[in-house]
Amino acid sequence: MSTTTPALDKADTPGTTPGVPQAPGPLARLAANPKALLLIAALLLAVVSAVVSGSGVWPEGLTFDLRTPLTELNQWLVENRESHWIFLYFLLHISNTAESSVDLVVTLLESLGFIGVTVLAVLLAWYAGGAGLHRRALRTAGTALVTFLVIGLLGMWEPAMETLGLMVICVIASALVGLVLGLVAGLSDRGERVLRPVFDTMQVLPAFSYLLPFVLIFDVGVPAAFAATVIYAAPPMARLTALGLRGADPVALEASRSLGATPWQQLKTARIPLARRQMFLGLNQTIMMCLSMVVLASMIGAPGLGEEIFRALSILDIGQSLGAGIAIVLIAVWFDRTTAAAGDRLDDPAAVRSTGGSLIQGGVVVVGTAVAAVVGSAIGRVEWPDEWVVSISGPVNSATAWIEDELGSGIPVIGGTLTWASGFANYVINPMRDALQATPWWAILVLGGVLAYLAGRWRAAVTTVLALGVIGGMGLWTRSMDTLSQVIAALVLTLILGFAIGILAARVDWLDRAIRPVLDTMQTMPQFIYLIPMVALFMGGRFAGVAAAVIYALPAVVRITDQGIRSINPAALEAARSLGATTGQQLRQVQIPLARKSLLLAVNQGVVLVLSMVVIAGMIGGGALGVDVVKGLAKGDLGLGMTAGIAIVCLGILLDRVSQPGAEAKRGVS
Amino acid sequence: MTETTSNSTKQTSADPAAPAFAVRDLWKVFGPKADRVPGDPAHKDLTTAELREKTGCTAAVRDVSFDVQRGEVFVVMGLSGSGKSTLVRTLTRLIEPTSGSIAMDGEDVLAMDKNRLRELRRRQTAMVFQNFGLLPHRSVLDNVAYGLEIQGVGKAERRAKAQEIVEKVGLAGMEERRPGQLSGGQQQRVGLARALAVDPEVLLFDEPFSALDPLIRRDMQEEVIRLHREEGRTMVFITHDLAEALRLGDRIMLMRDGAIVQLGTPEEIVANPADQYVRDFVRDVAREQVISVRRAMRPADAAESDSGAELAPDTLVVDAIEAVAQSGEPCRVVEDGRTLGVVDHERLLAVVAGIDGGRPDTEGKEVAAV
Repeated sequence: MSTTTPALDKADTPGTTPGVPQAPGPLARLAANPKALLLIAALLLAVVSAVVSGSGVWPEGLTFDLRTPLTELNQWLVENRESHWIFLYFLLHISNTAESSVDLVVTLLESLGFIGVTVLAVLLAWYAGGAGLHRRALRTAGTALVTFLVIGLLGMWEPAMETLGLMVICVIASALVGLVLGLVAGLSDRGERVLRPVFDTMQVLPAFSYLLPFVLIFDVGVPAAFAATVIYAAPPMARLTALGLRGADPVALEASRSLGATPWQQLKTARIPLARRQMFLGLNQTIMMCLSMVVLASMIGAPGLGEEIFRALSILDIGQSLGAGIAIVLIAVWFDRTTAAAGDRLDDPAAVRSTGGSLIQGGVVVVGTAVAAVVGSAIGRVEWPDEWVVSISGPVNSATAWIEDELGSGIPVIGGTLTWASGFANYVINPMRDALQATPWWAILVLGGVLAYLAGRWRAAVTTVLALGVIGGMGLWTRSMDTLSQVIAALVLTLILGFAIGILAARVDWLDRAIRPVLDTMQTMPQFIYLIPMVALFMGGRFAGVAAAVIYALPAVVRITDQGIRSINPAALEAARSLGATTGQQLRQVQIPLARKSLLLAVNQGVVLVLSMVVIAGMIGGGALGVDVVKGLAKGDLGLGMTAGIAIVCLGILLDRVSQPGAEAKRGVS
Repeated sequence: MTETTSNSTKQTSADPAAPAFAVRDLWKVFGPKADRVPGDPAHKDLTTAELREKTGCTAAVRDVSFDVQRGEVFVVMGLSGSGKSTLVRTLTRLIEPTSGSIAMDGEDVLAMDKNRLRELRRRQTAMVFQNFGLLPHRSVLDNVAYGLEIQGVGKAERRAKAQEIVEKVGLAGMEERRPGQLSGGQQQRVGLARALAVDPEVLLFDEPFSALDPLIRRDMQEEVIRLHREEGRTMVFITHDLAEALRLGDRIMLMRDGAIVQLGTPEEIVANPADQYVRDFVRDVAREQVISVRRAMRPADAAESDSGAELAPDTLVVDAIEAVAQSGEPCRVVEDGRTLGVVDHERLLAVVAGIDGGRPDTEGKEVAAV
């Protein structure tokens, strides 16, 4: 490659000027570059064949029927769920245990009463924050207090307790599973070789796709939600545990060995304590992913706040969904701050705790909660009193109506939100979808293969072509191209905005400081939340889905870009400055080329996040594969839901492989 | 000042006359089929690069044999990549040697099973590391007590012992701090205290002071000298710093590319470098501070043999210069009442100027030099 142009630029340049004669200089350079030639040839093939044939339907003869066997399997499962041995002796135990432990926790929370629960939450947060009268402890405690009071005021107490009950059980289970897997991957090389690709793939899959198989096995309800959540949320704990165990200071480990420690002693006294920080980070991520999934699992019958949102969104009732949405946001913030405070305390040498001290503090938490619960029941206030509920749904709905009426359309010159939405759908998404659908399937296979080959050699190319083949084979080609067009539109928007904000934040310190806490909070929010404002602004539809996807993926892209540019070798930048480079030159010639790897990573992350959101947006009118999954789940038509789910997974793998900063970046050549 | 009492009780199977460590024909080779390299005589004279070319292996330690006497400070010195750090790790099999033999107090280390080896690491040796290797989540006191904890010593007892050692290395008052709150020198004192706390027979130092500032390094070296003077513990000390080696070492083993270049007292190495490599190494050493009058003297003639000030044979030249300058006449080198020779202006100046080579009283290696 003549310059360090990222892969995306390559796709643009030849595409916009096909057939236009170029100056001999660039042409000669191009001819010397087999990769670019390959890409141009593939693009030309796609464009020409699309123009000639005008239709890209996957041939009937190459499809296989997956829906019938899946429906039959579902039928068989429905009939045998009560009788087959694998259910009787294994799966039913899981589902019964899950169900009864969740019930137990919810009952416990109910019997504590709202006063008891609030006091417990506040004291736990206070304890995690360092237990004292200093700022950190009081701040986390204050967050907890506000969270639970607002939940009560919004009338969301009961669903919030249901969500928390499921959360507690899911967090315990996923942390344990993650810990065990993390120990295996951290201590055994073979374990890591086996687990790592599994975790990598799991990271790419949209949260959505975890729900379907468990519905198939457990039917809709709490057990399926539990299983899907645990599987979804355990990997970060496992990954970071393994990372912490492997990254421990080798000298400290050698010192422990040189003093004659047995492997068990070494694990207990050195390895695990040294990995504590990372493990805490893993726990924090696992908790956030649990929350996200527990909310999402309302689609498969998990009760709680998610159910409120799901119900309200399906009838586009913003007022109803907003209350539950705020409750979820607050719970997310409370969980995040509390675990983060506990994690910070690990590093704080001032907080050297004596065993006696933490015993007393633990006692304060238990006794305080008990007293509050007793007081609550003594004054006859176990449930949150109805008269204390402030209804926001009416005002919010009229505000939304006002937005639709006043901002929706007809504003001179700039149009309005609805005008933009339909404009974007008509002039950006539709042409792209039509182009993708008009291109013959084999040309897309070739193009995908070439892109993947350029990103990650033969393995990636084969995976990509296979994934496309499965999509076509299931007869979902046209719908998948529809989803793909939305993903690409959202991705381009995300990258433009993300890179711009990221680069700006990397250069302007106050901006960086200002947006960092916002990004932090945004990254912990469950996906569902992002749909609510988009529905309010754009009334649902594909653009609302794309916009939600952009907002959802933006924080990660901005953050990776910002950090990537900030973490380049300062000496290189200083050298450029000392030679008199302008800001633009510094950026173009030093910062962006050196941060190339981070930028590629940002693209990859953006792809994964956008896809997962676009699929969920099927719920609010995004159509295509997402709506199939929702329909399949809602009507119990797993043939439909599963095939769409598999197509989504294939799209995810495909997009990941094509955008992976893999082979090339790792070798450090360009 | 060889054995402390507590050590001798631990050593039941050991031979009291044996050296602390006896190493013979030791090889450590990294790479594919590493075990084939040491036995093959064809490999013996190859350079490191040639060996890698031919076998794909890197020999970190090549055919090394030496004894560490009880109570001595044995310094292994060499530049980075000379194999010295690998060598010290093979002594307790933190790195498994490829071939050769190692005996500690006469007991074969390579024949030890896992439990015996662990016992050796727990009680007979302790190591101090270049990058300290402290546990950041523990207080200073618990870091120092760590070795005792591994031995299974109860909490109260190990903390009491650790407290004693903490005071000994000058960290009193910092017991409850975390390693992250200490300076580099203080951290290494913790590392030293952790090693001392298990009361080992041999202390192993792997470039312990290389990461420290020069002034702190000097403090720490003096600390080690003081500890050695007080306790007489055997020490194996790895360093790449010649000044440090000369200051601390009773004997110095110079390594290059995994092999021994020269083994001798600081004086022997400075006065009689074995080859050009060593000579380049010691070129800038202040010779008068290393070389003794035994090496600088000349035979006394009749008139001198019973007049003039007396000096012990191991008096350093720098001190003899002062004596000679003050008395204004040659000084006698006297051992057990017998005059061995005399030193005068000329002889002492020759030492300072580095033109005292080729003395007849030096050993055979001299032939190779100039």
